[in-house]
Amino acid sequence: MTEKKILVVDDEKQIRDIFEKAFSGAGYTVQTVESAEEALEIMKKTPFSVLFLDLNLPGMNGIELCRQISKNWPMAISHAVTGYASLFEIHDCREAGFEDYFTKPVNLSDLLAAAEHAFKKLERWKKR
Amino acid sequence: MKILIADDDFTVRTMLQAVLKKWGYELVSAADGHEAWDALQQTDAPQLAILDWMMPGMTGPEICRKLRAQERTGPLYLILLTSKDERENIIEGLEAGADDYVAKPYDIGELKARVQVGRRILKLQHKLKKREKLQGVLEMAGAVCHEINQPLQVVSGWAEMLLMDIAESDPNYATFKNIKANVDRIGELTRKIMQISKYKVRDYMGGKSKIIDIDKSTSKFEE
Repeated sequence: MTEKKILVVDDEKQIRDIFEKAFSGAGYTVQTVESAEEALEIMKKTPFSVLFLDLNLPGMNGIELCRQISKNWPMAISHAVTGYASLFEIHDCREAGFEDYFTKPVNLSDLLAAAEHAFKKLERWKKR
Repeated sequence: MKILIADDDFTVRTMLQAVLKKWGYELVSAADGHEAWDALQQTDAPQLAILDWMMPGMTGPEICRKLRAQERTGPLYLILLTSKDERENIIEGLEAGADDYVAKPYDIGELKARVQVGRRILKLQHKLKKREKLQGVLEMAGAVCHEINQPLQVVSGWAEMLLMDIAESDPNYATFKNIKANVDRIGELTRKIMQISKYKVRDYMGGKSKIIDIDKSTSKFEE
């Protein structure tokens, strides 16, 4: 069985911890980073196919990060998770390439469902 | 509305007092520049002042200049009374900070109309100030909500993890369910508050003056 890997980007450690616990509990391999810059470094070495990105990041924000990921790794499926709904509009996110958009506090079950859905899609695309 | 009349001429003062009182305004009188200045330094000072140009103590334009240089809490509408000779100095008066002028001998109808203009401008300034205050509050509310959503996510997440780990029959199950439910309630609140802040953002982005929308959405929230 192919390893299913998820990359989580959030500048708050406690959020990284809870998301890591939730995704690994469901059987995924999780890596967490605290900035967009770090995320891009990781993607250059081992591209992840499923990502969950906080939008309000220090340095480069999550929307710009998604734009770059969409450009360089178009097969990656990214999900926006933000605590600041008014600052980042959904259509800006969709334009940047986000698959979906969640506002904190989000139900872990919703994130797990999104991850499952994303991996199913990737499987389907592989078999086309 | 309270109006200040400043003129060293007793007759002019009396006549102005009479007509303004007739039109329903509350009056404060000053007989020279210093009295006028002091009257406008009070905490409940008039917001509209009719200042004679030539006065002992401080001239009308001098008062205007000093007032505009002050840091004041509320708006101030200044009308200068000018005589025939001083009409060339209208520019000086306006540049000194007067909002309008009325030439002596003044036409009563014109004076009434110009005072009404001043009243309208003051009303607009008050409205603007209120709106700015409200926008400040909304911006802060948005920022606070963002801060709250972070720990909220953590608590909600752990409550959800606990619920996944234990059986429904577990004696603690109901407690954790309760914790998550209430945390989610707070989450709904922060979402609602940020919705209101969002209307403000749409204002600027759309370029349309959706001031009415802000009022509508905040009154919805005040319920």
